[in-house]
Amino acid sequence: MSSSELAAAPGADRSLKRVDLASASGSRWSESVMPLLLASAAIFSGLVVTLVVFFVAYNAVPTFRAEGLSFITRGGWDTQINNAFTPSKTVFFGAEPLLIGTLLSTVGAVLVSLVLGTGCAIFLSELAPAAIRRPFESLVQLLAGIPSVVFGLVGLSIVVPFIQNYVVPANAANVVPEIPIEGASLLAAITVLSFMILPFFVTVAVDSLRAIPRSYVDGGLALGMTKWRTITRIQVPAAAPGLVAGLVLAAARATGEAIAVSMVAGAIAFSPNLNHGPLYMLLMPIRTIASSIVETGGDAMSIPSIASALFALATLLLLFSLILSLGARWAFAWFNKRMGVRQAGGVQT
Amino acid sequence: MSVQEKLRSKPQWGSGFGQFACWVAAAVVSAVCLSIIGYLVFQGWHSLSWKFFTTDPSESMREGAGGGVRVPIVGTALLIVLAVLVMFPIAVGAATYLSEYMDESSWFTRVVRTGLEVLASVPSVVFGMFGLALFSMPIFTFLSSSGAEGASQAFGRSFLVAAIVMGVHVLPFVIKVSEESIRAVPVSYRRGAHALGITKWRSIRKVVLPAAAPGIVTAVILGMGLIAGDTAIVWLLLGGTTTMGASNWWAPSQFLQVLRGTGATLTTYIFFNSPAGDGNSPQLAYAAALVLVVLVLALNVIASIVGRRRKRQGS
Repeated sequence: MSSSELAAAPGADRSLKRVDLASASGSRWSESVMPLLLASAAIFSGLVVTLVVFFVAYNAVPTFRAEGLSFITRGGWDTQINNAFTPSKTVFFGAEPLLIGTLLSTVGAVLVSLVLGTGCAIFLSELAPAAIRRPFESLVQLLAGIPSVVFGLVGLSIVVPFIQNYVVPANAANVVPEIPIEGASLLAAITVLSFMILPFFVTVAVDSLRAIPRSYVDGGLALGMTKWRTITRIQVPAAAPGLVAGLVLAAARATGEAIAVSMVAGAIAFSPNLNHGPLYMLLMPIRTIASSIVETGGDAMSIPSIASALFALATLLLLFSLILSLGARWAFAWFNKRMGVRQAGGVQT
Repeated sequence: MSVQEKLRSKPQWGSGFGQFACWVAAAVVSAVCLSIIGYLVFQGWHSLSWKFFTTDPSESMREGAGGGVRVPIVGTALLIVLAVLVMFPIAVGAATYLSEYMDESSWFTRVVRTGLEVLASVPSVVFGMFGLALFSMPIFTFLSSSGAEGASQAFGRSFLVAAIVMGVHVLPFVIKVSEESIRAVPVSYRRGAHALGITKWRSIRKVVLPAAAPGIVTAVILGMGLIAGDTAIVWLLLGGTTTMGASNWWAPSQFLQVLRGTGATLTTYIFFNSPAGDGNSPQLAYAAALVLVVLVLALNVIASIVGRRRKRQGS
């Protein structure tokens, strides 16, 4: 914008007059009060997360005090929740299967979206012809905008029946008698989660691929490398910390996803195991930490022991998101340092 | 072997295969995205009717008897408006302070930025639990009803509670996008204002913020899309129902009761009527999902149009 347009900027000339004519006291008042108001908004936004941590962790204290570490090493969540409705019983909760379910579904989804997403990111930033790039970019953004409940709905209507009809072997009930193998499974959760977190990974990955200095690529080409070799040997390794950061953010989303997972994963607190081979492990139903909160939370929250157990689950989720967001921050710092970029830090969502 | 030879020695087929794999990945993602939309249109299209938009949901277990989406649409709109009212002043204030007043290297800045990063990664279901914990405290009874008879706690579930928590949930995202657009205002604007003798706050209010306004509006519209699409917070903090808690909710005199009462949004309607919920009307869930996706899509398109206007202005 040129300087002639600056004069035409809305309100610019008027404020000049106002400053000259206005009594000094009025403007001095807002000059000292407004920064304070803005600062309090900034302080609130920066510190509200400590409120979240405090209230969630405080309510989880009874559970952790009663159970300690055995909360995450003991199983049997589903029966314990049922027992807790009987007021006379003292119930100890065990969230080990939920923890396993969360870890397995997150790791699976991260691996799938690493493979698919890296391909998409290279395609978007290097390979796509200009005519395809824009539409594909909008498609990725569209995928990012689809609400999680819609992912759950479509997963329940397409993915789960597909797994049941085409992936589950006919004699599954005989091979794995201990648990129903009916399509709603770890595999369905991984499938749905992969496409939910993919757009976030792709966005960060494309940004970091594009942030690599042009001279890196030119250097490779000058050495006689093919375009593909510069991509795999120079651009992707140089962007690796950015890809890691994107992956960590995607993992944070997968860990915390509640609704979609609860719709497709079977909602049975069961730790998938390798006793019947890797295929059956993927076909076993799971329940994750986040999905248990929406499934059980509600009316059951009026029972103190259940409420405290759910707050304990939420505390675990908070711990994960703290670790993952600090991990992403560290990876971004690594990337910027490597690229020689002194960038203003920012919130990555 | 020289470096050049080493670099060239890789057989050519690897390159062809790798590029092919990238095209396949892009094709798979496009196909999945288009088939989700196509499936919703195909399944939900014939349930869309005037009646669908003008009747209220009914919590019936009979197949196909889930009713329409009048109350859920009102609930989604109300929640968006309230959450934006909560979030907007805080977000713009914090974004302005972060970009105009703060010293990047101070410990204070680092604390605020770290706090925002962690807040951005907190899952929405945890925000739901936080809302229940905080707003069930007896002093917050004025935000929701007083709960069960003789209970010492507030009920902790209402439009007001959900809107406050939802506002905090989208805060980091809106601050980030707003801050970027405030930072994108050319330094010459600030210097020009300074040279004219305008004080700092006045130049921010009269020059910087108006110039950044399209970007801030984009941020808020994208935040509205996030609010419309969230399920976990709404399910926990709006009562987990598909109807409006207050009776005669359309009457102006009931307004406060509506705000303090439970309610439904499109997302809870979809969840309830999906095969996973208690209702048994998947066709209606598809139709409502189509409405929701179109709504979020429309918000994104509006945001990108506003954003493009900003780019044209700025260049």
